[in-house]
Formats: sequence, structure tokens, C-alpha cells
Amino acid sequence: MIEAATANAVRTAPPPAPGLPPGDASSADIVSRVERIAAGPLAEMAGRIDRGHYPLEIMASLGRAGGLGAHLDRRGQRFDQAIGAMAEVSRHCGTTGFLVWAHDVFGLYLEQSGNPALCGDFLERHARGDSFGGTALSNPMKALSGIESLALRARRVPGGYRVSGTLPWVSHIAAGQYCGALAGVEGADGSLSHEIMFVLHCREEVALRQCPAFSGMEGSSTWSITLKDYFVGEDELIADPARPFIARIKAAFILLQTGMAVGVTQGSIDAIREVEPALGHVNQHLDERPDALQAELDELRQRALTLAKTPFEGGRDFLLEVLDARVQGAELALRASQSALLHQGARGYLMSAAPQRRIREAHFVAIVTPAIKHLRWEMARLMREEMPS
Amino acid sequence: MSEERPFQQYICRACGLIYDEAEGDPDSGLAPGTRFEDIPDDWECPLCGVTKADFEPFVPREPVDAVAADASPRRVGAVVVGAGLAGWAAVEALRALDRDLPITLVTACSGDRYHKPELSVALSRGQSADDLVRESGSEAARRLGVQLLPRTFVTGLSPQSRRLRTTRGTLSYTGLVLAMGARPALPAALPEAHCWRVNDLAGWSGLQRALADGPARVAVVGGGMVGCELAEDLARAGHRVSLLDRHAYPLAGLLPEAAGRRLLAAQRALGIAVHPNVAVAGVERNAAGERVVQLADGERLVVDQVVAATGLATEPRLARQAGLDFAGGICVDGRTLATSVPGIFALGDCIAIEGQPCRFIEPLARQAEALAHALLERDHPGYRHAAPVVRLKTRQLPITLSGRPDPDADWVTVSDDAERLEMEQRQGERVLATLSVGAGRRAA
Repeated sequence: MIEAATANAVRTAPPPAPGLPPGDASSADIVSRVERIAAGPLAEMAGRIDRGHYPLEIMASLGRAGGLGAHLDRRGQRFDQAIGAMAEVSRHCGTTGFLVWAHDVFGLYLEQSGNPALCGDFLERHARGDSFGGTALSNPMKALSGIESLALRARRVPGGYRVSGTLPWVSHIAAGQYCGALAGVEGADGSLSHEIMFVLHCREEVALRQCPAFSGMEGSSTWSITLKDYFVGEDELIADPARPFIARIKAAFILLQTGMAVGVTQGSIDAIREVEPALGHVNQHLDERPDALQAELDELRQRALTLAKTPFEGGRDFLLEVLDARVQGAELALRASQSALLHQGARGYLMSAAPQRRIREAHFVAIVTPAIKHLRWEMARLMREEMPS
Repeated sequence: MSEERPFQQYICRACGLIYDEAEGDPDSGLAPGTRFEDIPDDWECPLCGVTKADFEPFVPREPVDAVAADASPRRVGAVVVGAGLAGWAAVEALRALDRDLPITLVTACSGDRYHKPELSVALSRGQSADDLVRESGSEAARRLGVQLLPRTFVTGLSPQSRRLRTTRGTLSYTGLVLAMGARPALPAALPEAHCWRVNDLAGWSGLQRALADGPARVAVVGGGMVGCELAEDLARAGHRVSLLDRHAYPLAGLLPEAAGRRLLAAQRALGIAVHPNVAVAGVERNAAGERVVQLADGERLVVDQVVAATGLATEPRLARQAGLDFAGGICVDGRTLATSVPGIFALGDCIAIEGQPCRFIEPLARQAEALAHALLERDHPGYRHAAPVVRLKTRQLPITLSGRPDPDADWVTVSDDAERLEMEQRQGERVLATLSVGAGRRAA
């Protein structure tokens, strides 16, 4: 019944960009290798990515440098390195930082699925950056918190499920790539019994439609996906039922996002310091100054790295800490990016300048699921005391 | 000669781009080392497009003093967390000292003001939540000039930047007062969904509404002060009460056995079915909507409602996150109520003084006054902590405990008759604690 061999459908990596350092994923200093890629070829390309270039060549080199799989159990569960790598990337290009996050969490889904069909070669290739794919969990994360309803519906069929529905925007996908998706399973009467999570391969029958242009993140290869009776076999199932799985990985999923916030904030502080020799005499009159912002960022980074030691720690309090750190990061990125533009003035306002781009990137950090409002909604839900009904 | 001159930098007056002779501008064909004067006149600023004439020599300025880098917020004001008796006491004390201080009160509840001890006697008085509210939160906020954020949870605290994160936004503060109380500590055998907790008006109100239809079977789990008071109030309100206690007699943590036995007898006389020495293994809801209390010895008790009175605990998460010293409560200075972190104070049920929580009403006003003076940096002799007199609202058998009893020391009977028992603890000549159980006037 399975219609296409998954391995054949996986897109192969483009050749590495010229001038990249050779990667060896086994050696310890992943973050510094990622730093060299980020400050070199990526920084040069950031404007082009902002205008719509999907930087798979950079992603491939990050994969070879070990920057896309440090958090996996098989690589020692180094969430600190995964966050550090994402931060270095986001410091120079928020769009690519977002791609790294999407790529990282997809690897997390595969490994945590425990499905032998997903944990083997498929995961290895993904973690090395030989193939690419992201996450379509924006709608499900909101749906499972009660914020909106599920977009995809599945029906049981012999050997698996048939899935239909439309996801409005899914990033880091393209023909031949893949993403993690979630669908509600409908019974004969139309009621939902439970949810399944599965690998969605962007095969021929999967319609990818262009999204309207966004004001940022245009290089994230974001598409609308429409499925009509898409078949999901046992080998593609990440979790069935999906709720316990989502509950287990949720904190890790959100914690990784702090890498984006840390990076965009650090890039903004860099931009402030860059003009200090020329403009410090007037910039001293601005509300937010680099030393104070850096102190706040250092606190946030330390907090994220501490939480990163136990990414699968269950319990309400750990999740609350992660959600709050995620809000802290989003708010700091907003303030720092705005401050960077104020510090740079007209220079930062040029369309080619990084500060105006970072303003849009920071707003993305604040609105990408879970957005600040979703995080607060969820924390209020978790903190409310339950009473008998 | 010019070959030996150090490379210089030129700044674009329009956009601030710096042309560094050492680096040149390879993208427009200027090799590294190209002197400014050798740049063709039609060369354009690679950033903004103005010409060479719009550049001037760049002289880096002296670094600006870090005067503005001080992290303390410029938006002054106090933020108080928690609108129970402690939080409102802090607001009133701050307002009494400073008419103009901006104060924001953040609270998970509605902010309505009520006298918490009344929750122990209100069922038998036939009262509802509306009867207990003395002033609505919004009215009190208006009267005291406070911004009230009701139904708002505190999620995070960054003391270094003096920012408090809440579910309705992040607040800056100059002084922060934590008065968030303690939460019922529920053992795993008592699920939230099946057990009422009477620690605030909302919890009490839910129980009151659930019992509004007439006499019901109620199991009270826990024979401490709250459990004993509620059991008596429920019984007086006409309900069939079972009091489940893991000790041999009620208030075993506080009273000597002779006193506890009297209370036990008084409770039974009131019709309360006291089950001493039992442990609850679980609570479930059956198909009929009743609650089934499973005891560890295999017994089952079928009731309509379960009330958990198994003690309180201060949540450590916020304190730990912010690096506040914490030991059973937020550690505070016994005189100023200052925590271990500058700018943050705490009072009420959430604190620990000398390692001991102090969850009584009486000290709150004095704590609030000392705290407000310390926060506003005004002179004050300081709070003096003393063990409050404990009066149990058990009308069947009034109990008064004064002083600081030592749980390991013996109690000596001073007088003992059918009406009344009086005991004390002594250390040499010094009286550590006195206890009076029963009605009637205390002997001189």
C-alpha cells in the first residue's frame, strides 16, 4: 500500500558553498565551527536570504559541522550546543536560525518516535544535513492547548491512515522534502477519537501552494500544503496516539526556540556597539544601552542553558520555566532590535541594513508559535488551580 | 612620505559608513590599501550612494561613560504580587507613607477584599461569597490609587533588570513586594479535580455552591487547624461530616494528647464521624457522581464532596528562578522583611522567618508597616517577630495556644475539670507556652 519509498523521495543536499570549513561532526567544538559559517558565508548572504533565497547550501554546511543534530540522544543530547549553534546562526540571519530550529525539532520527532523505520538512516541523513525538512506543528500546538481547531483530519484505512486538509504555512519544505505533521482521527460519525503524528513527505500528490509574501523570513521556503486522502503508513507514524508524545517533547520544542531569540538579540547588541565610536555621544541619551541589554541577554542565555540540561524533565514547573524563558527571549529580542535601529539611525533604516531586518526577525520570534500571547495564555492555564466540577 | 602614513578612516556624513583605507572597497574595485585621496571622484558610498565629497576623516570618540548603563529602571514604582490580606496590607502601608507612589497590584484572583478567617465559619452562618466580600477589588484599587491587574499570574522575575513577567505583560519596578501566599499541598492521593481546598474565597465559594442544595455527605481530609475548623463548620451547617486524620487525635502536631482527646470527644459530640489513624490512598468519582474515598486499610467511604485540608506550602519556583533564598518559604530579614535580593520584599504566608513559615493573620499589618518603611527607605524600628496567639475557631471547644511550644517538651497540667483543661510548657522558671482548652474564663 505504501506508494513511494521514502528514501527515494528525500531531496539530496546541494553541493557545499565555497569557502566553508570542512566539518567533522564528532569533534567537540560544534558551536565555534557554526560561528565561522555564520559570520562568514551566512552573514554575506543574509540580505539575499531576507529577500527570498532559501539557503540550503548553508544548511548543508551547518549539518556537516554538526550544527543540526547536537541535541539528539545519539549525539549526547547537547541541547546547550544546539541552542548555542542556533544563536550563532540567528545572530547573523534570523531566517536561517528559524530553519535550524525547524530542522532540529524534526530530528527530535524522528528520534523520540522510537519507530525503527524513522530512527535509522533517515534520521542520520537528516541530522547530517544531507536531506531537509521542518515542522508543521504550529496549528497542532495551538490546537492541543485549546487555542484553535486541528486543520488535518485522518481516517483509518487498512495499513494506515488517509489524511486530508490544508495547513496554511509550513516552513523549510519543498518538493522532495518533508515535515512532521499531526492530524485528528475521525470516526465514522465525524467525531475525533485521538490524534496521530506522522512524517509528511512532499511527494507529487502533495500540493504546495505559494504563500502571500511576508514582511520577513522570505527565505524560509514557506508553503501552504493541501492534502487529499494522503496515505500514511505504519513506517511514517511518529506517534499514535500523538498527545502523550507532544506532552513529552513540548518543553524541548519550545526551549530550542530560545536560540533564535538569543541570536537576534546578540546581533542587535553587536549593531549598537558597531556605531558606538561614531555615535556614542548622542546614543547615550537612548533608553536602552548595550551594557544593560547584554546583561539581560547573559541572564537569559544562562537560564536557557541551565534548562537545556534536562530538556525532557516532566512536570508543570519545568514547562512553566521554559515558557517564561521563551517569553523573556521574545521580549528582549523586540527591545534590543528596536534599540539597535534607534542607535544606528538612518544607517540602520536602509533596506540593505541589518537592524531593520532584525526588527522584522525579532517580531517573527515574538509571533511564531507559540507567540507571546499563546505563551501567556498557556501559562495562565497551567497556573490556574483546578477545582472539582 | 604618504606611503608611510598610517591608514586612516573616513566616515560618510550621510549614512555613517566608514571607509577604511586598510580594507578598501573591493566590491567597487578599490583594493585594500587604497588611499582616500586616490579614490575616483565618481566613487559612491556602497551603502547610501553619496559621493566621495560627502566623506570626512573619522576620529573615534572617547567611549561614553557608562552613566546611562545603570540597569535600575527609570520608571519608578512599587509592584505588589498577591491581593490577599497580606498584599492589601502592603498596599495600604505603602500608600499611607507616600501619596504619589505608583503602585501596581498583580493578583491571580479577582482582588476582592474579604477577611480570610471568616472562611472557617461562613457555611454555618449561611453566607455566600458576596456576603463575605467587604470591598470589591476595583473599588479598593480606586480608593487607594492602585493599578489592579486581576486574574493575572506572575510567571518570571529578573531582579537584575527589575522586571516582573506576568500573563498580562512585563512590569518594571523599583520595589517589589511578594505576598502571593501559600498553596494547598495536595498529596498525590488527593487529585485536584476531586478535592476542594479552602484557602481562598474562590475555593470556599466553589464548595459553598456545591453544598447549596441541602445536607450532604462531606469527607474532610486532615485533622489540622483548617480541617478541624471546617469539619465543625460543615457539621453546624447540617452536613454529615467524616474527618479523616492520619494521627490518633486531631491537632496532633500542635496539642498534647490530653487536649487532643478532649477535642476529639467534642467533635464526636457534634456528630462528626472522626476516623483517626487513617491514610487516604485515593479519591475517585463513581458513575453516580459521588466521590469514593479509598483508605489505605482497604475501607471505602462514599461521600458527596471531599475537602482536603492537608497543609500549605509556598511555591518555590519564582524564588528559585530569581535567586531568592528559600527554605520552606521565601527567607526574609526579620526586621525589614527584605529578601536576599535587593529591591524585593515579602510578607504573609509565603515567607519564612528564621527558617519557619508564619501563616497567621495577626502579624500582617505590622509586617506591612515595617516592609513599607524599608522599601521607601524611611526610618522605622523594624518588625518584631513573636509567635502569635493561636485561637481555634472551634466553638464546640474553644482552644487558645500562646507562646512557642516545643514539640518535644512535656506539657504540665495546671488545671483539669470537666469544663476546661489548662496546661503549660516550662523551661525552668520560664513559661514557653500555655494552652487553654474549653469554655469559661481563664484562671488568673
